[in-house]
Amino acid sequence: MVLSLTDVELSLQGNAGMVDILHGISLEVAKGDTLGLVGPSGSGKSSLLMLMGGLERATGGSVLALGNDLTTMDEDQLARFRRSHMGVVFQSFHLIPTMTALENVATPLELAGAADAFERAEAELDAVGLGHRTDHYPAQMSGGEQQRVALARAAAPRPDILLADEPTGNLDQATGAAIMDLLFDLRDRHGATLIMVTHSLDLAARCDRTIRLVDGRLDAETRNTPDLRVTDAATTGYAKVGE
Amino acid sequence: MIWLTQAATIARRELRGGLSGFRIFLACLALGVAAIAAVGSVRVSITAGLEREGSVILGGDAEVEFDYRAATPEERALLDAVGTVSQVYDFRSMAATGEGREADRALTQVKAVDDLYPLTGTLTLDPPIPVAQALADDGAIIHPVLADRLGLEIGDPIYLGTRALTLRALLTREPDAGSAGFGLGPRTIVSTAALEGSGLVSEGSLFEVKYRMLIPGATDEQLDALEVELETAFEGSGARWRDRRNGAPQVQRVVDRLGSFLVLVGLAGLAVGGVGVSAAVRSYLDRKTGVIATLKTLGAEGRVIFAAYLMQIGVLAALGIAIGLVLGTLIPITVGPLIEARLPVPVALGVHPGPLFEAALYGALTALIFTLWPLARTEQVRAASLFRDATGTSRVWPRRRYIVALAVAVVALVASSALLSGIPMLALYSAGGIAFALALLIGAAWGVRRLSRMLAGTKAVRGWPALRLALGSVGGPGGEATAVVLSLGLGLTVLAAVGQIDANMRAAIDRDLPEIAPSYFFVDIQPDQIEGFLDRVENDPAVSRVDTAPMLGGVVRSIAGTPASEFDHWVTRGDRRISFADTPGDGTRIVAGEFWPEDYTGDPQISFAREEAEELGVEIGDAVTMNVLGRDITGTVTNFREVDFSSGGIGFVIIFNTAALQGAPHTWLSTVYAEESAEAAILRDVAGDAPNITAIRVRDAIALVTEALGALAAATSWGAGATLLTGFIVLIGAAAAGERGRTFEASVLKTLGATRATILTSFALRSALLGAAAGVVAIVVGALAGWGILTFVMEAPYSFEWRSALLIVVGGALATLLAGLAFAWRPLAARPAGVLRAQD
Repeated sequence: MVLSLTDVELSLQGNAGMVDILHGISLEVAKGDTLGLVGPSGSGKSSLLMLMGGLERATGGSVLALGNDLTTMDEDQLARFRRSHMGVVFQSFHLIPTMTALENVATPLELAGAADAFERAEAELDAVGLGHRTDHYPAQMSGGEQQRVALARAAAPRPDILLADEPTGNLDQATGAAIMDLLFDLRDRHGATLIMVTHSLDLAARCDRTIRLVDGRLDAETRNTPDLRVTDAATTGYAKVGE
Repeated sequence: MIWLTQAATIARRELRGGLSGFRIFLACLALGVAAIAAVGSVRVSITAGLEREGSVILGGDAEVEFDYRAATPEERALLDAVGTVSQVYDFRSMAATGEGREADRALTQVKAVDDLYPLTGTLTLDPPIPVAQALADDGAIIHPVLADRLGLEIGDPIYLGTRALTLRALLTREPDAGSAGFGLGPRTIVSTAALEGSGLVSEGSLFEVKYRMLIPGATDEQLDALEVELETAFEGSGARWRDRRNGAPQVQRVVDRLGSFLVLVGLAGLAVGGVGVSAAVRSYLDRKTGVIATLKTLGAEGRVIFAAYLMQIGVLAALGIAIGLVLGTLIPITVGPLIEARLPVPVALGVHPGPLFEAALYGALTALIFTLWPLARTEQVRAASLFRDATGTSRVWPRRRYIVALAVAVVALVASSALLSGIPMLALYSAGGIAFALALLIGAAWGVRRLSRMLAGTKAVRGWPALRLALGSVGGPGGEATAVVLSLGLGLTVLAAVGQIDANMRAAIDRDLPEIAPSYFFVDIQPDQIEGFLDRVENDPAVSRVDTAPMLGGVVRSIAGTPASEFDHWVTRGDRRISFADTPGDGTRIVAGEFWPEDYTGDPQISFAREEAEELGVEIGDAVTMNVLGRDITGTVTNFREVDFSSGGIGFVIIFNTAALQGAPHTWLSTVYAEESAEAAILRDVAGDAPNITAIRVRDAIALVTEALGALAAATSWGAGATLLTGFIVLIGAAAAGERGRTFEASVLKTLGATRATILTSFALRSALLGAAAGVVAIVVGALAGWGILTFVMEAPYSFEWRSALLIVVGGALATLLAGLAFAWRPLAARPAGVLRAQD
């Protein structure tokens, strides 16, 4: 298994005290799988994704990624782990504003010690159709372009796991569709495991599996075969977990 | 005017939000105002003290002073007619523990007084006995420093010249010390009667006689009238008038100069503070973009918005200025006693409205200058564009009326500082310097950004992610470069300039002067002693050179027929020391005319110093009349000499031919160049054989000058320190403002796999880069300022002092590093998930 979560709990300190976000989440993701995480706002899907990326620390249970327990690693060990194995794409792109597109994409490669970081970054930007914008700063690019840079940045180190948190949430429909095509294309080319949070059932249906979260608990899981994808989503949505 | 009421209402409601974003704003303004108010208050306190205690400091309501002679009976009669008169002799001499070559000796400034001394004020003695009792029967009072140096205790004998006196008391406080000016030795007080037979005050020796007058009930107008009356009566006698309104002119001059200079340094501090004020207002208005846009959407006119925010900033500025004024009033009252203890004059501590007003004016104008631009932009920007451009990055020029208002405020600030400082030219130069430094710093910040940008893209830094991140961050958009370089740079510039000047002066004194300056000046060598003196020093193998010259006092009466009083030059004021010679002497360069032949006995001829002759407009062939010991002598200027007064050797402005003055009573002056190890033996032998001869050890004099320079440099460094502190506060403000950005950046970098060490290194590198850049600019501008001041004001050679410069760069880098690292903790500790999701 690439990812294996067992009885994961997450509580965070809010303004009015501790808030329980996730309750006893257990799930496994196999190598090469694509998994869609869906659910209403506040259901904990993004938090679950953050836990999988080691960007948030679980307050209970274990999160195994490629056999490593992320809950026992310190910040720097987590950073090194991500550097070698993970790529993350955010809804708000989160490019570093003081760096050009090329520098943004090269950064994770440099951090991993790649001697050819900039050459690879350039090739990656070419692959997302931005070979001509390498010297532009994020502020000089449209939202769609910024997200393409973010995709290139996430894919450049050839991660085993690609995590995407509502990657089209800040984009219009057409741009969003193009970004999704790119994301799946990258995933197909490099064979990474893709886990994606989305509000769009259509997008979720493009994944091999879809998990629905409600109130921090796994509510339903659907295995999307090419034939079933639309039907399931269109009718009841999801089979109950354990049914 | 309903729009003003509307603006006031909006301002009042907006201010309910509190002052949390304005700590830096308040601190910058308060600190700048406090520094200026404090310096001004101390200056006024000293001036007020001098005015209040004028007659005590002077030792009387008025004073008439003669050089090298006492008043004639006729002159004395004129003075006695004015009021109660006390006579005081003042001269340098050697105090000794005994007679002969074995005694210990030290230079002392002697005051020989009559029974009436002191006419005003009280001497404090240890033990506390009356002055008359201490001075009776050849008693002496000496300063504790002199007692320590000679190892004397109360009751011990002390020798002045050939007179044996008894030490009766130590001088704890001398009320009229401030009027004496710069003395080379600690004080000794004896009675005039004790001088008789001492061989110290004879015709031709160097001394001053002061006649202090107590004129009960004399008004300032009466003093003015008396001054005119006595100056007319004493015309051409070399007598100088002083009264209680100008009791300590040297102290007053130093305090005025230093005070004005420190206020200018304070203005530089306020300019640095202005950078912080401007940043705070920009950031506040950026945060208020939504509110402004909403108000505009609801129908608020541009002028209402402008006035509303001007009022808010005005209230805050008033608060900042008020805090500054309170601090500026309290600081002098707190440290006043410390200052008073170090000054020979009283200090009238208290609240002085003048300097407080000056500081408030500067503070208000600075606040206006630095906030008008961002405030004016709020009126110019359309509501829609405000919504679109929520980050406030749009750069629209304000309307012309605001630009005019800004220019008026700048002119008002520069003009008021020129007028109020009392040194208008220096104030204007300083304003120019500050503007130049600011422009250069802005340029440097731009250059650093460009260079970083360029370097970040080079292959050399690839594979060094921490360095590339730092360079990218410095060079990229929205960086802190300008704020950091500006805030720290100006403070460091002032410090660098002070450092360069101080180091150059010290170097000149330490390195150059002892090499060319003699070991001793021997003065008051009587004609019958010169042979024995030369015999001792010229036969000493450790002595490399001995120069001697006869010396006597004279007053210039007229030059080419024009009375001396019509010249405004030091040569024509009071008594001048002049000399006579047969030959120009070794190393003297005649630059015009011809020196008289060696055995010349014709009409008196004069050799004049070239520079002074040029300043006075003296030409070859001009007749110069001098009064020498009561006799007028007219000589013809036949040549000009190049005289270098800075070498420390013998130099006279006016030299007559020998035959013209040989008959007049005179003494000899000698400079002796000897190895340091031989100095003590020379002093022991010369003064032991001839106790009336005064020896001034040049090394001691240099040490005193160095000490005085050190105190000046310290005072200026404190001023620069205030500027630097303001800079540091602005720096902290910039670092705090950048914290959110760094937290975000750290979170993204962690996501991409950066360890905390990499991120911290990157933060540290960018801070150090900016600090070093500010330091380098500070050195360039500071060195330029130092060169300018040394070359044009002090007329001294300048050489770049790298040690002081290096300290500035390292200090700048460290300061930014500290400020940066202080705000690195939160970004490093933050969990990426929380930070990044909060931005989604």
